[in-house]
Amino acid sequence: PEEKCRVLSIQSHVVRGYVGNKSATFPLQVLGFEVDSINSVQFSNHTGYAHWKGQVLTADELNVLYEGIKLNKVNHYDYILTGYSRDTSFLETVVDIIQELKKANPSLVYVCDPVMGDHGAMYVPENLLPVYRDKVVPLADILTPNQFEAELLTGRKVNTQEDAFEVMDLLHKMGPETVVLTSSDLPSKKGDQFLVALGSQKIVKPDGSKTSQKICMDIPKVDAVFVGTGDLFAAMLLAWTHHHPKDLKAACEKTVSVMHHVIKRTITYANEMAGPGKRPSPAQLELRMVQSKADIENPAIVVEAKVLHKSSQ
Amino acid sequence: MECRVLSIQSHVVRGYVGNKSASFPLQVLGFEVDSINSVQFSNHTGYSHWKGQVLTADELHVLYEGIKLNNVHQYDYVLTGYTRDTSFLEMVVDIVQELKRANPNLVYVCDPVLGDHGSMYVPQNLYPVYKNKVVPVADIITPNQFEAETRANNLISLTDSLLGDRFLVSLGSQRQVRPDGSRATQRVRIEVPKVDAVFVGTGDLFAAMLLAWTHHYPNDLKMACEKTFSVMHHVIQRTISYAHELAGPGRRPSPPQLELRMVQSKADIEDPAIVTEATVIS
Repeated sequence: PEEKCRVLSIQSHVVRGYVGNKSATFPLQVLGFEVDSINSVQFSNHTGYAHWKGQVLTADELNVLYEGIKLNKVNHYDYILTGYSRDTSFLETVVDIIQELKKANPSLVYVCDPVMGDHGAMYVPENLLPVYRDKVVPLADILTPNQFEAELLTGRKVNTQEDAFEVMDLLHKMGPETVVLTSSDLPSKKGDQFLVALGSQKIVKPDGSKTSQKICMDIPKVDAVFVGTGDLFAAMLLAWTHHHPKDLKAACEKTVSVMHHVIKRTITYANEMAGPGKRPSPAQLELRMVQSKADIENPAIVVEAKVLHKSSQ
Repeated sequence: MECRVLSIQSHVVRGYVGNKSASFPLQVLGFEVDSINSVQFSNHTGYSHWKGQVLTADELHVLYEGIKLNNVHQYDYVLTGYTRDTSFLEMVVDIVQELKRANPNLVYVCDPVLGDHGSMYVPQNLYPVYKNKVVPVADIITPNQFEAETRANNLISLTDSLLGDRFLVSLGSQRQVRPDGSRATQRVRIEVPKVDAVFVGTGDLFAAMLLAWTHHYPNDLKMACEKTFSVMHHVIQRTISYAHELAGPGRRPSPPQLELRMVQSKADIEDPAIVTEATVIS
């Protein structure tokens, strides 16, 4: 894509491996996006390894970098992408930057992964929740929470698909027009080897009335812990909603399919490296990103998203 | 291809210099690139303004320690470029030496960035560190004429291009061991069309691509150079065309407009059409 394709991505950098900006940048560049990246930290590797070391960027330092971009009058972006953050003042500075960038370009799309926790437990400081809920999510255009994060943001539990729809509609009211529940505990019709992901996109019909399109996907589970997959997901959802701005079904099918190819390649290689009967290590489980270039460029569709009932808003 | 590069270079938020210039092309060619960012700046220093932070030698060491503690400090290549700091450079040397002990086949590709056109643009005290410590551990170096003269301490006579003054001459030299054990040196000469603009990050791209193409042609410097120079040509042509479009007729493009068209050049990076022939001199 030539026009309207400059992304500002504010995420972690790891020397080795694929999380944060390392996970998002290469795939977006391969798809032709210009990616400006601000590294919120520089660590040797992700924190799932036995050891990790490095340095963090302060909110002031983030501001200084943005100032440099602004002084050169190149603070024009079509997309912003953010993910994991541990620091409220850093997150609040990110909010200020996004507000300014949206004033500079009102068409800017902010893709936000509100990383707070999973499986019922928070893995960031609790005081990030009000910042996400009250300041970040209202600015987001595309949001990719998991079920737990969606529950935290709305204060509502999800036990059924109807609950999930209500929670996504509440999230729409808070800001984002596109919400993808990247994973959930809901039972899949295909059995317990699958997890359910849901998506919702607000659309305006030709007659001017508003509605939302809800989709559902059954995604094969993989028996391993991957790191950086959420970051890859958000980046690829950015790319594929860019190509399919009013077709969440198509965008999600491409996104989830890319994830599938990368994960399969990764787990195969990891098991090879670990040897028979051994569980692969975090180092062995690093995403096979550069090896997946062809799948990133042109993902064969392996998951079908079902369009569920449309409701009027 | 399972090939892991450790690249220790600058990071800029916007644009293509240092690690931003080297990583994408190497990844596109299938190399695993581990990158240590020696600085994080908003953009390169050719713009009107630039802001950011530098990594200290200690912080570099801390990052390397993390890699080492996890026992993943096995690399096939190390790649370094522009540095402003002697203690940082000395730490880089220590790291390279340790990595070579861990893998004796490691290839260190070094761009000894000191200056150009007769003057230094880094602190003078970097010169003895490059000369006495860095270059001795390098396997591939990519100096310009000024940097080579500084190192060798004598003047290299200017070689005129037979094609005229719109071309510049580059020379390459590779020491090889023949099957019978005797040593030989292959020298190549390559003529490159000049482009009337100041590009930044092209040296970093060059060193990265020379790494890639000498990996595929370890005993054929002619071929490795032809591929490397051809990639450079395609990227630069695409960049200058776009820059002129943006600037408008009769205007000189600005530094932001002259940023390398890297992601747009993916196909040329993957499979560069050869546009220049290297001559084997001896």
